[in-house]
Amino acid sequence: MNGFQLYFRLIQISLLGHMQYRANFIAGVLGLVFWNVINLGLIGVLVTQFASLNNWTLWELVFLYCLWILGHSLYSLFFSHTRQLEDYLIEGTFDQFLLRPASPLIQFLGREFQYTKIADLLIGVTGITLAYAQLGLHWDVWKWGFFMIAVISGATIVWAMDLLIACSAFWTGRSRGTFIIVSPFYGLVHQYPVDIFGNAFRIIVTSIIPVAFMNYYPSLFLLDKLDRAGSAWWLSYMSPIVALMLMGIVFMVWQLALKQYTSSGS
Amino acid sequence: MKTFWAFARQNFHATAVYRLDFWLRVASTPILMYGMRWLWVTLYTQRPGAFGVSMQQMVTYAVLSIAIENLFYTGPLYYIARQVKSGAIDSDLLRPLDFHFHMLARSTGEMFFRIIVIALPAMLVGYFLLDLQLPATLQTGFMFVVALLLGYLVNFHLDFILGTISTVTLDIHSIDWAFQATSRFFSGRFVPLWLFPGALGILANILPFRSIFSTPLSIYAGVLKEDAMLQALGFQLLWLMLLLMLSRWLWGRVQMRIVSQGG
Amino acid sequence: MIQAEHLTKEYKRVVRREGFLGSVRTLFSAQYETIPAVNDISFRIDEGELVGYIGPNGAGKSTSIKMLCGILVPTSGRVEVNGLIPHKERMKNTRQIGAVFGQKTQLWWDVPVIESLRLFRDIYKVPEAQYKHNLNMFNDLLGLHEFQNTPVRQLSLGQRLRADMAAALLHNPRLLFLDEPMIGVDVVAKEKLRNFIHEINRDQKVTILLTTHDMVDIEKVCSRIMIIDHGRIVYDGSLAQIRNQYGKQRTLVVEFEDDVPDFSAPNAVLKKSEGHKKWFAFNRFETSPSTLIADITSRYPILDLAVEEPEIEEIVRTIYQGKPEALATETK
Repeated sequence: MNGFQLYFRLIQISLLGHMQYRANFIAGVLGLVFWNVINLGLIGVLVTQFASLNNWTLWELVFLYCLWILGHSLYSLFFSHTRQLEDYLIEGTFDQFLLRPASPLIQFLGREFQYTKIADLLIGVTGITLAYAQLGLHWDVWKWGFFMIAVISGATIVWAMDLLIACSAFWTGRSRGTFIIVSPFYGLVHQYPVDIFGNAFRIIVTSIIPVAFMNYYPSLFLLDKLDRAGSAWWLSYMSPIVALMLMGIVFMVWQLALKQYTSSGS
Repeated sequence: MKTFWAFARQNFHATAVYRLDFWLRVASTPILMYGMRWLWVTLYTQRPGAFGVSMQQMVTYAVLSIAIENLFYTGPLYYIARQVKSGAIDSDLLRPLDFHFHMLARSTGEMFFRIIVIALPAMLVGYFLLDLQLPATLQTGFMFVVALLLGYLVNFHLDFILGTISTVTLDIHSIDWAFQATSRFFSGRFVPLWLFPGALGILANILPFRSIFSTPLSIYAGVLKEDAMLQALGFQLLWLMLLLMLSRWLWGRVQMRIVSQGG
Repeated sequence: MIQAEHLTKEYKRVVRREGFLGSVRTLFSAQYETIPAVNDISFRIDEGELVGYIGPNGAGKSTSIKMLCGILVPTSGRVEVNGLIPHKERMKNTRQIGAVFGQKTQLWWDVPVIESLRLFRDIYKVPEAQYKHNLNMFNDLLGLHEFQNTPVRQLSLGQRLRADMAAALLHNPRLLFLDEPMIGVDVVAKEKLRNFIHEINRDQKVTILLTTHDMVDIEKVCSRIMIIDHGRIVYDGSLAQIRNQYGKQRTLVVEFEDDVPDFSAPNAVLKKSEGHKKWFAFNRFETSPSTLIADITSRYPILDLAVEEPEIEEIVRTIYQGKPEALATETK
């Protein structure tokens, strides 16, 4: 059984498990919708009372917010359990992966399938659709293509970042702390355009925790805001490159992590 | 008091072994504080003096909000739900300690620990780096602390009530989310309530959530003064009384239920 | 089957300093100490053996087993499992081993047992015929069909362990690790599991390494035991030998007609006194039961008496406590 087949079978069995808890699905979906409505509501209140946020209008902000969600929801649909790697290590579940003749990475990635996150995906799609209409956008085929690529790149970027951070657990035993420190960056970039913040912040979310490539930079291109990027206009197109780079890094780190784990145990 | 210190001290020891984890936790708060400062600087540069509040006041409000928000995550909601689910609630009920008081002690102990380790350093960072102002007068500072404690107690009891309800419905995640989301919106944590238009504004004034963040923060920033301030404090007290009674009554019912059903 | 030579595993651990100031200092500059979890152990297990592996908690049991499974790389020394070096050829090695962990199941929690088994069948590439044959065997020996369609989360502990056994043996491994598989299981289920282990070992010549704290498991199931303590193997041999070697002690249990004050008998130690009964411990090489009995009956009339052999548990406890003549590994 090759990697993809294994992954598919793992998802199947995970889904089978979830089917047992049907009531939770509805509750989960409602919760997610509610949460995002609240967030957007807050932004909405702000923007309506102040007319704009650094020349980002309400619907542009909705677009920004939902572009993030699209990428993130794809990631969390399949890999939201990535952050739990440290628990797998502590509880011995990871050891079980090593006892089987199959790639531990695929076994880990295929462990869960959070189909409730489909709600996030729908919210994202709805938001983008509404924003598209409200802003009177008319994309040609290139822009649509770029949009798709941006979404997939976004999903890849956040997956790679989360997995990279989760891997720190192989060395330090815990990754929760790092997630705590990274989360505010995720949250701020998700909800607000990066150009309202200071330089230090912008540099960090562009080069160290490059989540600005999930929504901000692609939005500059997709919403015809390239003028505000000035000489760095090329950053708007870099999402797929950043995604590929991160993927490469995370695969390398995973190999190193396995080596570390088998040499030092727990 | 002894219990409080015991909990706080135990927490500190536990985190010292995972050093990286500890420092990162402390370091994450200023990042959000930074974000909020810039957000409001941007908005108030666009519209100075909006809503009768200065940029300084608004930035103080927003930055302080992040500094103190960690204090409110110590609620018993998850603890209660977890204990009931695992059946360990029985050992809690066996102790010669009023359950409500027990929960309060745990949470407050955790809160004191967080004040020392997270909130105070964060406020220092805010003051030196992020334009967090000192309170106008000593009296303002004092009233802030009072309002903060009241807000904490209101939040605690809301959490406690939900935890109690969750033992019956058995699903804490959606309840918690709904609660967090509503609180997020109506507590004035991210968007001050005086910005809320029309009906939303009215709703915000009735619900208890404003007691948690809006009241103490507004007092500190000098937005709520004299009569308005006293009114807000009275509102907090009122809700606290209500929630306290509701907490004890609800828990009494649930406790009987647990005991009769065997957990 | 398994050959271990001078196997060693060392860990680095943060030194925890005392007190509040100590914790603060740890935050800034941690000191590390090297701890040998497994210290130069050597042994050999042949195919078809059923070995009990015991030791106090923290003795190095799970560390050594992890090295045998290829999950952990030894610091020094050498280990071979059926010709393979586990950590060098981990995946290949996994096909020839199976494991059951008493504390944690290998099965997927919310789905019927059979679904987990199907997935394992595919992961291990078990041929259909063999799969069906094994399922039948599990039905016969473990009663699998009673609960194979039940989600694991709804199984009783005994059932879950049976299911885990089936999962571990589905791919016909040559070597089976059982890590405290019978913790918390009721007596009846334990008996069934022990029988199953026995059958698998006898009929299919599966080599089994059983880690347990329950001495009854050892006595009923294993022919050989290895005792590990503080990272070293302190005993490796058969049960009979261990009794002979260390079991010098016998206990005479006497029930007196009336209440009798405590007293001491020559060459014997009064260990316990309860009601009309007294327990006398003696060294069978120093004195014979008849001498002791004669002495005791000459003092008081007795109702009943019995001679007890030491329990393995007691022997092992003495060994844990560090006997100076700790035995080196037996050579075969």
